[in-house]
Amino acid sequence: MRRRFPWLSYLVVVAGALFTVVPFLDMVMTSFKGPGEAGTLPYRFLPKAFALSNYRAAMDQLNLPVLFRNSVVVTTVITLSVLLTSSLAGYALARLRFPGRDLVFRLVLATMMVPPFLFLIPRFLILVHWPLAGGNDLLGRGGAGLTVSIAALAVPFLVNGFGIFLTRQFMLSLPDEVLEAARIDGAGEFTVWWRIVVPQTKPVLVTLGLLTFVDAWNEYIWALLVSTANPDLMTLPVGVQLLRDHVDPARTMPVVMAGLVLSVLPVLVLFLLLQKHYIRGVMLSGLK
Amino acid sequence: MVNVLTPQTPERAPGPPPGAPAGHGRRRGRHRETVAAYLFLAPALLFFAVFLLLPLGFALLLSLSHWTGFDLGAIEPVGPDNFAALFAGGSTFLVPVLTNTLLFALGTVALALTGSVTVATCVDRLRFQGLWRTLYFLPIVTTVVAVGNVWKYIYEPGGLANGVLNALGLGSVAFLQDPDTALPSVVVVQAWASLGSAILVLTAGLKSIPASYHEAAALDGAGPGTVFWRITLPLLRPSLLFVCVTQFLTGLQSFALITVMTRGGPGDATDVAALEMYRRAFEYGDWGTASAAAFVLFAVVLVVTLAQLWVFRRAGEDA
Repeated sequence: MRRRFPWLSYLVVVAGALFTVVPFLDMVMTSFKGPGEAGTLPYRFLPKAFALSNYRAAMDQLNLPVLFRNSVVVTTVITLSVLLTSSLAGYALARLRFPGRDLVFRLVLATMMVPPFLFLIPRFLILVHWPLAGGNDLLGRGGAGLTVSIAALAVPFLVNGFGIFLTRQFMLSLPDEVLEAARIDGAGEFTVWWRIVVPQTKPVLVTLGLLTFVDAWNEYIWALLVSTANPDLMTLPVGVQLLRDHVDPARTMPVVMAGLVLSVLPVLVLFLLLQKHYIRGVMLSGLK
Repeated sequence: MVNVLTPQTPERAPGPPPGAPAGHGRRRGRHRETVAAYLFLAPALLFFAVFLLLPLGFALLLSLSHWTGFDLGAIEPVGPDNFAALFAGGSTFLVPVLTNTLLFALGTVALALTGSVTVATCVDRLRFQGLWRTLYFLPIVTTVVAVGNVWKYIYEPGGLANGVLNALGLGSVAFLQDPDTALPSVVVVQAWASLGSAILVLTAGLKSIPASYHEAAALDGAGPGTVFWRITLPLLRPSLLFVCVTQFLTGLQSFALITVMTRGGPGDATDVAALEMYRRAFEYGDWGTASAAAFVLFAVVLVVTLAQLWVFRRAGEDA
């Protein structure tokens, strides 16, 4: 069976791959097209000449330094926080004995089951009414709360139930002897965690970090919500979408495509460099 | 994530080390371990309290209240009125919004599942598997803004899709402008975007099927079709269940892609529940019915998920 229809398998896989890749190529090709070349009939895939002017126009219209800074800061903070909190909580749940452990673990599992959209409204209102921030009084009235601060972009994503679960599963398999040896030598739990457990769980932390980074970089709805209240907090996806909304699509589509290429490039490069870890993460989440 | 489907009780932690001091000292050690554990858990628990439990309670309160302003003192409890308003005659929530949501989710699951099963079984027989998987994976690591805009452009009258149709001698289609084709067009994009992870999960499932099963069946004279339907698919059930449930969940909740591509239009042809909730809240400032809509969608998500688990379990018993 395995060798019977290799040509048929090749046909299916290559056709499927074309279906996946061609939209990306279309995006790149369009970003190099000149005025009047895009969106007109008859359709042409390749640009007449590879013009860089669209990239210059996208950069001019896109306040790139601010968008890029916001995206990088928020993504970095979220990734570091998820790694730290997942590894701390995962260690307690996997290797420590304490009353209430089963309950906390069930809570972690439960957080993964509640759909994110349910939190959209209340979280936003809680940030608006955050006491003593952004001009609010002690009861959270009067000002804009945390929604005017860059913290608002990161806050809902700082802890991730799936991250805790993933690190816990990994830490269950660490050998007892090393941890016990360190404890007998007088190491406190914090030292055991930082000196022994964190280095031993590096592979899963790299995987989790990459998954978190890609998700945070691509997040759109929450960033849109927060930056509607304060345009200084726009991230790259929100900025590019705004550019799309404010240009005449027929004439400046190539500029939008150039902006899109700029916004996906960092994560695409990261993925191509570290895809082994990312793919492992997705497989892990499906196999557990 | 699949752990959600098969919640497991945590394994017992190892007891105290063999040489541990007994009695008072041991109790002290136990106490210290408890303090340490809760210190390690403190950041996560604090976060869950403030950004999960509190919002959940707040959302429930809002869904049972009337509140348009930003003054917390003006929240006015109205009981189940908001829910009643969603289902009242003349409300568009049930039809077309919820039906669109279900059609969207069903469509993406059907497309992504057939596509990923086909590709995964084919890739399994080829060389350069890593290369193929990388290619199929590109959409997943790309922002929804890029995916949505590229496809919106592909569907334009002068875009790639109509370019291909015209080259084949077919007429143009107004994909996103025509109410009849708008929803299917967005479904294709959502399925396209989720194909990669589905293929990965199914590949992992395929790899765990021992080759000897296929060889034994082939020796008994089973053709490739029989082997696929009788051996591969049944043994792939856990992976299929995972893909099915997660894609359905994502499908029921999606609205970022629709926001980018159609904003629910033309008319309300692609309006879905989460988008409707977002609009009611952040465009009309109607937090009450918006929160009620969120809970209705949550209920739909739960029911659909439980139904799928039940169906798959039944299928397992019959096999």
